[in-house]
Amino acid sequence: MYPNGVRALDNVSLEIEKGSFVFLIGSSGMGKSSILRLMYRERTPTDGEVHVDGMRVDTMKRSKIPYLRRNVGVVFQDFKLLADKTVWENVAFALRVTGARSKDVMRQVPRCLELVGLSHKSRMFPHELAGGEQQRTAIARALVNNPKILLCDEPTGNLDPATTSEIMELLLRINLKGTTIVVATHNQGVVDRMRRRVVRIENGRIVSDEERGYYFLGLGQSSVLSG
Amino acid sequence: MQITAIATVAVTIFMLGSFLYARETLSKLSSGMLSRIEISVFLSDRVDDKQGRAMSEVIGADPRVSAVTYIPKAEGLRQLQDRLRGQIDTSLLTSNPLPNAIRVRVKDPDAVPAVAQSIQKMRDVANVEYDQATVAKVLRLTETIAKLGLIMIVVLIFAAAVIISNTIRLTVFARRREIAIMQLVGATNLYIRAPFMAEGFIAGTLGALVAVIVLAILHAELLPRVMVTLSFIPFSTAHVDEVRLMFELLAAGAVVGVIGAWVSVSRYLRV
Repeated sequence: MYPNGVRALDNVSLEIEKGSFVFLIGSSGMGKSSILRLMYRERTPTDGEVHVDGMRVDTMKRSKIPYLRRNVGVVFQDFKLLADKTVWENVAFALRVTGARSKDVMRQVPRCLELVGLSHKSRMFPHELAGGEQQRTAIARALVNNPKILLCDEPTGNLDPATTSEIMELLLRINLKGTTIVVATHNQGVVDRMRRRVVRIENGRIVSDEERGYYFLGLGQSSVLSG
Repeated sequence: MQITAIATVAVTIFMLGSFLYARETLSKLSSGMLSRIEISVFLSDRVDDKQGRAMSEVIGADPRVSAVTYIPKAEGLRQLQDRLRGQIDTSLLTSNPLPNAIRVRVKDPDAVPAVAQSIQKMRDVANVEYDQATVAKVLRLTETIAKLGLIMIVVLIFAAAVIISNTIRLTVFARRREIAIMQLVGATNLYIRAPFMAEGFIAGTLGALVAVIVLAILHAELLPRVMVTLSFIPFSTAHVDEVRLMFELLAAGAVVGVIGAWVSVSRYLRV
């Protein structure tokens, strides 16, 4: 329940296994973002418990939250990059705030940039990059601390279909390396193409939870949906 | 923006400094006046010189007492004659009406009433007198200044802190996106606060420094003139520790700056 009285999530119970890839779908305002926010402690539940990586998150002391955030990478629809820093600096930033040594920074940042395919643009500023490249920077930043989980809140919302595919491909690659990935989206094409676990949220409640789901319920193999 | 903060802090600290300086001067002056107040102890007629001197020593042994003078009646009469010369022809006196006396000076002016009381309890003490009216007045004045002073100090420091807090808040607001991102990637609150607190520290200290410089200049220029104008006030006894005051003001500025910054950043560090 949000402070303004809106009941965002109602009696939700969700378990996500390590290393899995999960889609949270549903129209806007249905509660997908709220679930993610609970996971990185942007909000606390009015009722119930949140556990992430074996740790109890909702009652965690405020002083421990930064450490949670270093283990849970978050990617947003609007990228949330620092405009006055280069790609390299943006990614390095997430490492520096943890007090990492220069040595580690010099090692990790290029690795992450390479993973997302932006090594050649490390000196550019966000406004010089295309949307997809900015999002890849954001993903690199989210990964630089080697988090176990990557949360994505509408990561392709601002991107065109081609770029969207690229980003989803990237996320898949990251998932194959062992990172748990949770993507909240209302992009049906993406969901249908990837056929992963799909959890549908409607009006704050979980309506369906399918292992290899489609965006819409009850669709068979013969879907002709495109996106 | 920074200049405004520094200027306003400078003004506040200037007021604080002037006030503290005035208060300390007044306080030292009143102490000075009080310490020259003498307690006059009049001994009973039974007491002869030897006993009188013995009593002086006893009184002198009291740790609160700074000076004791035994005044035998002959000496007392002589001093009286000196003082009243021309007004009364004391050669008309056939006998010395004055008792033997002891004059007592006390270290801490606040103790005058208490010391007088304890002397009164001694044997063979006929009368103990001191300028009660003045002592009471001065003590009351000091008390009022002390109380008023505390209120003023609190108010001024609070005002300075609020001003700095507001100025820093503008910077914090301008950088709220970065702060949010910092929190997102797992920066601790202290890490986020640090640069702002440094900013507050600098603004506060600089403001205090400006105030101190202005105060120093005024001090050097005005004080000699004031002393000449009010020459009946013994300023020489009211030496205020200027160096210490200066450091106190600078420290006040710094503390105010840091606290002001802490408060303004805190508002943006919700979780």
